[in-house]
Amino acid sequence: MSGPLLLQSLVLGVLLGGLYALLAAGLTLYFGVMRVVMIAHSAFLILAAYLAWFFTRETGLDPLLSLVFTVPLFFGAGVLMQRLLISRLRPATLTMMSVLLTFSIALVIEGTLGFAFSGTHRRIRLPYSGAHFELFGASIAVVKLIGFGLAGFSLVALYLLLKKTRFGQALRATMQHKDAAQLVGINTDRVAGYGFGLGLATAAIGGTALSLDSTIYPSLHWHWIGPLMAVIVVGGLGSVPGAAIAAMALGLGQSLLQIPLGTTWAQTFFYVALFATLMLRPQGFFGGRLAQRF
Amino acid sequence: MASEQPPEAHDEYLLELVDIEAGYGRAALVLRGLTVRVPPASVVCLVGPNGAGKSTVLKVASGMLTPRSGRILVGGKDVTRRGPQRMLDAGLSHVLQGHSVFKEMSVSENVLLGAYTIKDKAEIAERVDFVKGLFPVVADRWSSLAGALSGGQQKQVEFARSLMVSPRVVLLDEPSMGLDPKAAATVFEQVARMRDAGTAVLLVEQNARRGLETADLGCVLDLGRVHISGPAADLLADSSLGELYLGTRRPDPTAPTTTP
Repeated sequence: MSGPLLLQSLVLGVLLGGLYALLAAGLTLYFGVMRVVMIAHSAFLILAAYLAWFFTRETGLDPLLSLVFTVPLFFGAGVLMQRLLISRLRPATLTMMSVLLTFSIALVIEGTLGFAFSGTHRRIRLPYSGAHFELFGASIAVVKLIGFGLAGFSLVALYLLLKKTRFGQALRATMQHKDAAQLVGINTDRVAGYGFGLGLATAAIGGTALSLDSTIYPSLHWHWIGPLMAVIVVGGLGSVPGAAIAAMALGLGQSLLQIPLGTTWAQTFFYVALFATLMLRPQGFFGGRLAQRF
Repeated sequence: MASEQPPEAHDEYLLELVDIEAGYGRAALVLRGLTVRVPPASVVCLVGPNGAGKSTVLKVASGMLTPRSGRILVGGKDVTRRGPQRMLDAGLSHVLQGHSVFKEMSVSENVLLGAYTIKDKAEIAERVDFVKGLFPVVADRWSSLAGALSGGQQKQVEFARSLMVSPRVVLLDEPSMGLDPKAAATVFEQVARMRDAGTAVLLVEQNARRGLETADLGCVLDLGRVHISGPAADLLADSSLGELYLGTRRPDPTAPTTTP
């Protein structure tokens, strides 16, 4: 493998890993707070990408501006979804049932997108779509860099929110010991609702970042959920930093393997990592010590 | 000593659980008309066999479990059917059985979360000083990760957390469980110090003898009712109780029998 090609792959891997990290952070949040496996996370991601595309087509404005609407909208949808649907599930079987419930939500979103926008592949055309610059012989697309910046910014904001605010304290306490959290006066139901909203808000940002650079279609979310689930298992379920580190590692791995294997086979890297983790370290590489810490 | 009598004649009780019936889901009742009263500045210890409903009493008192019938009074005010947040406001703070620190947070974060419902910064600072004075380990390990502390130290962090709201009554569920004898002794000492610092304690203990030695009043629970209650010293001296509930070692040396 030549030097510049390797560098190019590394750069693309890092940029991709950043986006994976943001999306996996949302997934791991649902699991950490509520033990919910959220299959519909990537469907919301694609929904946000469609909304960004639609916003730009209708208004001619930059898709990033759609975040002003989609972030609060998704947050509200997350709170409602938790309060009206997830909280109805019986605690004893919550994790299994949440898979069924969120699977059906994913299908509803996919169907609605197909109905509203048809199955046609869509892509946002921007004045800076083709722009890129060179860095030591590697070419970096501006849209990818914007996506990475957006992911990085959101992750830092999420970290600060969880670490420094009163709500973040309450959320972490709820994740670590729900009964004790209730007994210090935390309204754990409300916290769970906001936690879910926060997770969906990350999907809004991730989807918008994705829309800058990808061709989207209603069933695209199936391509995303597998790798994202693999990321949070490798990272240790419930660990936000674990998910971020695993996302970066797997994103890099995928990018590097694309050269010898091609894009289709490179994708299998996630599943190989998933199986290896389950065999060697089922608690994930950051479960236990790092889990639940931010 | 008569059964079903208030522990002692006091004009005013901090906490009164009157005629409580409670249970989980559709299963049979756990508490069947239980009455317990906690006077100011005292430690009341509930003892009894497994399944007598000791922990359930505390869950009812802290609002984690709503009783089917009966009344809960705090300082004479009816607080029946309130959730945990409002029971906390009323002055009842509950320390759960087993380890319930937030393990992946620091000791300081744990203690300050105890003041989650308090807005006044000055009051919080004052309470922090108070709990640091009462529990030296909290001051010494202020920045450590709570999960890295020993079991006995974690218990003290939980005590400190529960005292941040200046509760009228602290509800302690088996604080000595799983601790080595030395750590358990420290925990009982701390319980007495909490009382001396002005907080009444409703204590549930599997280790009945140590619990009653620390307590002022004792209630023996059986099948969801108070079987016998009275000054803790009297219960300890009662040889028939010793045989039934306090283990084989008898308090009365003159009593005939079993090897010590």
